[in-house]
Amino acid sequence: MFLALKEIKHEKLRYSLIIAMIVLISYLIFVLTSLALGLANENTEAIDSWNVRSILLNKDSNISLGQSTITNEQADDINLTKKDAYVGSASVVAKSSGHSQISSTYLGLDKNQFIENNLKLSSGHKVRNDKQIVADEKFKDSGYKLGDKVKLDSSSGKFTIVGFTKNAKLNVAPVLYGTLSGWQTLKGMGSTMKASAVVSKNTKVDNSNSNLKTYSINTFIDKLPGYTAQNSTFTFMIAFLMIISLIVIAVFLYILTIQKLPNYAVLRAQGIPANVLVKTTIFQSIILVLAGLIIGTILTVLTALLIPTSVPMNFNFPMLSLVALGLIITSILGAIIPVRTILKVDPVTVIGG
Amino acid sequence: MTAIELHDINKEFGSGLSRVKVLNNVNFKANKGELVLVLGPSGSGKSTFLTITGGLQTATSGDVTLDQNNISKISKRDMENFRLNKIGFVLQAYNLVPYLTVKEQFKLVDKVKKSHNLDNEQLMTLLKTLEIDDLINKYPSELSGGQNQRVAIARALYTDPEIILADEPTASLDTGRVDEVGELLQSLAKQQNKAVVVVTHDLRLENYADRIYEIMDGSMTERVN
Ligand SMILES: Nc1ncnc2c1ncn2[C@@H]1O[C@H](COP(=O)(O)OP(=O)(O)OP(=O)(O)O)[C@@H](O)[C@H]1O
Ligand SMILES: [Mg+2]
Repeated sequence: MFLALKEIKHEKLRYSLIIAMIVLISYLIFVLTSLALGLANENTEAIDSWNVRSILLNKDSNISLGQSTITNEQADDINLTKKDAYVGSASVVAKSSGHSQISSTYLGLDKNQFIENNLKLSSGHKVRNDKQIVADEKFKDSGYKLGDKVKLDSSSGKFTIVGFTKNAKLNVAPVLYGTLSGWQTLKGMGSTMKASAVVSKNTKVDNSNSNLKTYSINTFIDKLPGYTAQNSTFTFMIAFLMIISLIVIAVFLYILTIQKLPNYAVLRAQGIPANVLVKTTIFQSIILVLAGLIIGTILTVLTALLIPTSVPMNFNFPMLSLVALGLIITSILGAIIPVRTILKVDPVTVIGG
Repeated sequence: MTAIELHDINKEFGSGLSRVKVLNNVNFKANKGELVLVLGPSGSGKSTFLTITGGLQTATSGDVTLDQNNISKISKRDMENFRLNKIGFVLQAYNLVPYLTVKEQFKLVDKVKKSHNLDNEQLMTLLKTLEIDDLINKYPSELSGGQNQRVAIARALYTDPEIILADEPTASLDTGRVDEVGELLQSLAKQQNKAVVVVTHDLRLENYADRIYEIMDGSMTERVN
């Protein structure tokens, strides 16, 4: 410890540069991971907020909420429990004079079922009639206010925003929560349709109709348009970035250790045990990486605070800790690779003469 | 009592055509309480002799016995321990850790060898004798060659070793300082019963030696008066 700290203190510039490099690398990985998670999260935010485990959809919908419909007739075959809830989904473009248009998803809910009951508003009140909607805060961020009237399509007239809610995005689009009959109007299908789907806190919806099928919520999420492709792209990007950065850090620490061999030779000649030198080297790497990680984390948090809310960032601490752990382990590896050289370092090489 | 004994030591470097024989059937002995000088010109094998004696490198053939231990027969780790506890090395060049101040060079020793080092008072006396007591907060790069050398001597003596091996300890010292170092080494041998071996081409040290060996092209002979 003594040697490790003294050396860092004495070689401030060299060690600051290495810490700076680790800061930048960890910052890059943290920010990218958080951005990727933020985006992934915008796909599933609404579903996550419902806490559901399965979804009943029309068999021919290709597991897509937008394509699925459940007719009244089919609905009769469903044995709905308290843990199930109808959802009627329609893609709409919200328009209001003076505001930009926002592509959104209208979700019609039954006011007696759990989604509507559990809905938490950040302002305003829940819908009281079919012409009212509760909007995701994205609308608020875009300048919409409570009481604003918005058109969702050309024929259904205007809807009034009566409440805002957080964390209501589905497939990146903000959600407008309304009623099932509001949904029927928007869909223009009269009242023959009951809903698009039934979501459930159970693993299965009790249903005897062969045209309807229960899927696990994960299956459903994986089938969200673009979701899987997006996620695997990000996963690979981050994985490659990690591997390359780890190699870079390991190489730097290796070079650092190699440069210190002459000093080690002196120490060895003086009888300083090899294990003290090995411990010093490893301890030093851990200090450097920890310092880098801590500063990197601070920068990431600052970035998250300063970045506009329109750019989603999401911190998954277990995930980021794993990244950090990976960095620490590789740095130890990077420091350990030259240990063999340290052990073999020939004190005579420095004696000269 | 015999502290150091080298018996028929040979050392060769390289192989085939590039083979050089640096030490040739060297026999050597140093007792406790004795300052033994090994004199020889540059390239004669002095450093090689000293590093083999101290276990820093191994001989091609022959036996080195330190304090009754045949060091070619003990493990690397034991040798390391032996070196830390029993031997004080003053190397010819590059003796100090560049990122430690003079004071810290000693502190480092305390970290790895927890007992039987000089106490603070003894250290200060030693530093005063070597006239480096006002340099304790400086880094090696801030010291002159001669100052570095004297710190290295103090560093080697700090562990209170029974055997002191010094390679050209006076190379960059002026005559006044050479006498101080000579007296210091002599008193360590006489008053503290240590075995002191100094290899050098510095004839100024002759006066302090109990016995003198001469080395020439790897062959060692004891000078008889
Ligand atoms: N590792 C090595 N490989 C090959 N030759 C070596 C090696 N070490 C020393 N030698 C050779 O052995 C000879 C003796 O070297 P040594 O360092 O012992 O001399 P020295 O008496 O200490 O000289 P100086 O007074 O200049 O310090 C030299 O000719 C040197 O070139
Ligand atoms: Mg030499």
